[in-house]
Amino acid sequence: MKRWMKLAAGAVAISLATAGCAGSGGSGNTAQSNANAPQQLSGELTVWLMTGSAPEPLTNALHKEFQDANPGVKIKYEIQQWNGIQQKLTTALASQTPPDVIEIGNTQTPAFAAQGVLADLSDSVNDLNGGQWLKGLKDSATFDGKTYGMPFYAANREVIYRKDLFEQAGITTPPASRDEWLAAIDKLKAKFGSDPDFQALYLPGQYWYSLLSFIWDEGGDIAKAEGKNFKSTLNSTEAKAGLEFYKKLVDASGTKAPKDNDEATPQQAGIYGGGKVAMFIGTPGEVATAAKTDPTIKDKTAAFAIPGKSAGKSAPVFLGGSNLAIPVNSKNTAAAKAYLKLLSGQKYQTEIAKGGYVPGTSTDISALSSDPFASVMAKAAQNGRAVPSSPKWGEVESGQNPLKDMMTAYLTGKKSIDQATTDANAALDKLLAGS
Amino acid sequence: MRKSLPQRIALNTVGVVGALLFGFPTYWLITTSFKTPGEVLSPRYDLIPFSITFENFTSALSKPGFTTFLTNSLIVTLGAVLTALVAGVLAAFPLARMRFRGRKGFLFLVLVAQLAPIEALLIPLYLLMRDAGLLNQLPSLLLVYMALTLPFTCWMLYGFVKGIPIELEEAAMIDGCGRWQAFRRVTLPLLGPGLVATSVFSFITAWNEFLFALVLMQDQGKRTIPVWLSTFREAFLVDWGGIMAASVIYAVPALIFFLIVQRKLVSGLTAGAVKG
Amino acid sequence: MTSTKDVAAMPAGNTPPASPRVPTLRARRRRKGFGDSVLPYLLLAPGVLAIGALLIWPTVQLVMISFRKLDLRELVTGQLVWVGVSNYGDVLGDPEFWEVTVRTLVFMGAVVAATIVVALFIALLMKQLNPVVRVLLQVTLVVAWATPAVAATTVFQWIFDQQYGILNKTLALLGFDGFIGHSWFSDGPSTLTVIGLLITWQAVPFVAFSLYAGLIGVPREQYEAAGIDGAGPWQTFRAVSWPAIQPILTIVTFLSVIWDFRVFTQVWAIKQGGPDGESTTLPIYMYLKGIAGSHFGPAAAIAMLMLLVLVILLARYIQLLLRSKEVDLK
Repeated sequence: MKRWMKLAAGAVAISLATAGCAGSGGSGNTAQSNANAPQQLSGELTVWLMTGSAPEPLTNALHKEFQDANPGVKIKYEIQQWNGIQQKLTTALASQTPPDVIEIGNTQTPAFAAQGVLADLSDSVNDLNGGQWLKGLKDSATFDGKTYGMPFYAANREVIYRKDLFEQAGITTPPASRDEWLAAIDKLKAKFGSDPDFQALYLPGQYWYSLLSFIWDEGGDIAKAEGKNFKSTLNSTEAKAGLEFYKKLVDASGTKAPKDNDEATPQQAGIYGGGKVAMFIGTPGEVATAAKTDPTIKDKTAAFAIPGKSAGKSAPVFLGGSNLAIPVNSKNTAAAKAYLKLLSGQKYQTEIAKGGYVPGTSTDISALSSDPFASVMAKAAQNGRAVPSSPKWGEVESGQNPLKDMMTAYLTGKKSIDQATTDANAALDKLLAGS
Repeated sequence: MRKSLPQRIALNTVGVVGALLFGFPTYWLITTSFKTPGEVLSPRYDLIPFSITFENFTSALSKPGFTTFLTNSLIVTLGAVLTALVAGVLAAFPLARMRFRGRKGFLFLVLVAQLAPIEALLIPLYLLMRDAGLLNQLPSLLLVYMALTLPFTCWMLYGFVKGIPIELEEAAMIDGCGRWQAFRRVTLPLLGPGLVATSVFSFITAWNEFLFALVLMQDQGKRTIPVWLSTFREAFLVDWGGIMAASVIYAVPALIFFLIVQRKLVSGLTAGAVKG
Repeated sequence: MTSTKDVAAMPAGNTPPASPRVPTLRARRRRKGFGDSVLPYLLLAPGVLAIGALLIWPTVQLVMISFRKLDLRELVTGQLVWVGVSNYGDVLGDPEFWEVTVRTLVFMGAVVAATIVVALFIALLMKQLNPVVRVLLQVTLVVAWATPAVAATTVFQWIFDQQYGILNKTLALLGFDGFIGHSWFSDGPSTLTVIGLLITWQAVPFVAFSLYAGLIGVPREQYEAAGIDGAGPWQTFRAVSWPAIQPILTIVTFLSVIWDFRVFTQVWAIKQGGPDGESTTLPIYMYLKGIAGSHFGPAAAIAMLMLLVLVILLARYIQLLLRSKEVDLK
């Protein structure tokens, strides 16, 4: 009976729904953030990181050091799942005890920043090694000139290839331009084409992250900022040229990848692991996935940056990754800032790099250079780009992405390039304008 | 009506073919969970797997927290099934046996409650639990699942109770039983199969629910199995083999539950079932 | 039934039998007065409370939200921003909404019809099968029912995969070369067909079991009697089976309409309502327009409109269900 009473009381509370019942907003009340006096910090610090983000040795060491420096603070560390994360964060931010540090995917960050539910970190940027922030991530955490997040880590794509097959086909140096890339495909096909299962390059039809590289390389973009809003530019000549090159790759390679699906369905690394694929575009982490299929494949594999239009200059790449932010109604902003400060230091940034990711707040990527896949990635990351930092972009990406429809329609011949890009442009405009 | 032998053979053949068609996706799910990642994506024709590995299962089971999540799920699911049955039986008795003002109103409520837009209720229910201080407590999830299955349970049990002839109770009352005693001693045992049939539905509904579990339970220690199932997806990678193996593991409790109650289910449904 | 009739016919206490069937209870209630008049309400209380507090009350809240602007900002700060009927105006003014509504109705109708027909067929079949085959069929049904939606969806995606899917491979093996590399997800109707198959697959077991239960409830003598009267299979079905399953059919159709109208997980997981939004149904529309961007006001308005559509569709059923119930209770 008691529970029902409680529920009834809750019901009354909702019906009253007095303004500000979920804690007062605004970032002013916690401005005394100078973490110079760590002994003053106390209370509980809830940290939410995503699954697969921070390697365990990193968090263990980080939490131990933080705990030693701030014995008064109790860290509550939770690993969250990507599935349903948006609802999870949305509701958690509205609870009486929101987490104090959260990880947000970089394409989702503008949506949260624009709603004013993240603490303004502009004053703390210098404390957090701001001079070395990874540009692509920094942009995604900036809204209206203010900073709402600290870059955490990023990864980007590269071409992962079979050294042995390249050698057998007589390709001595990895392709450094589009032409060399296409030539390599031809050589591979000439050598192995008799095997009906062989694919010189595995390239699914809806792999839009790869398409971005080609569009950017042509000098185009998905959308351009017009004041506070974004206007789609998918029907520009440059975007069309990027899409045309994508089709050229698909046609030249004779890839058997589905034209109506992306790189995750079926999982491309698994197919690469099957041994009949000479190249695919992926992140270094996918090499480990491929090794699950065939443990020997890692030693036969190397990587090169996605070739650019002009020789010697690799194409820009999409930076995928995460930012760390502090909810505006966090009860322990001071401790949260101290936590971010510690994490932004070189020691832990090196740990992130050792984990195979491009670190967010350090330009020192030497820890990545020992790994043949990560070093290629880190180098290309310097030419990393981000999707439009529109608060609406998260919806584009997690919903009905017009780029995917555009690619399938053009690659299957259902629409002409003009039709496909015009339709996608209109659809994207509608999404970016939103309601 | 007796069927001739050829007729029976034909019917049973249709039955087997139906079972094969119906079982195929499950078969595919199970064989996939035993395949190595390479074979999952093999271009070969592999209706029957070429080799078998248990790696997907061992790696799925070694994900941290599995037993905690399993326990939580069992608590919440069985709790919801039980409370819904109790509330359902309590409601079914007067609905089927008594005449009172508001009876039809309640039946109407039960039917209309089925229409409640459950997915859209996430935010109001979240706020309700938040303000009642029930966030992050398994009982709140239990309550939600109970509420989700209760209208259905009430309606079904009402049908079952009505299917049991009232004369049996009356006979008991003549023998000196009180109204409630008569119900408890005579009708309730006969209701067993009905309870079982209804509980299968409640069990599967509660066992599969993801969104409320995700949002209402914040601590790692309070998560349930559907949330565990989603841990196989990371920012850049999805472990499909793991998902398949995990799904098989995940479906096992529901299957066990069914096998336990199966005999009763079929005989029980004869007693009146969902008949109006 | 025959033996219980005898019981009822026995003289019941000192009250003269008012009707041949249930004199006792009514008579007793009249005598007992207060206790009995409160009892039903006490027994109903837990159910009413649970349904009221956790389903009806939140729905009322949802109605309020549908007149508000409730984005992430308002949710976190607890601000109340009333916007009148503009959420409804936006949705009703969107031509896509009407297109999606029609699509959803057609899709729902097809899936419900397929579910009922297949389930009825299976239920009738199960009655005729030998026990081994029957249990085999039942186990496949239950497993289909118990498979988590995430896994079921993934498996269907694999089966229908363009290149590696077992379906295309099998069709090619059988000589249908046109299916080599055939894409099942390149247009709306084809995508919706696959989704419909998936949903039907998971929906049939519940309906089939319910109908089967109704069928085996019919005493064997009735079939035998029909047989003696020289009725053919169809006439037997009409005269004997149909009356037994008709009420069950009403309630399962009622439930199927609700469930299939609202199904989200499978539709979303297969193609997020694509390509080009051609497999978008109302729940997907609600998600895209509302929940995905944390615009809970429009989401609530769409939920309310969906509720309205369901009420219009099902008003007759509710009437039917309530009336048959009322008639039954003596």
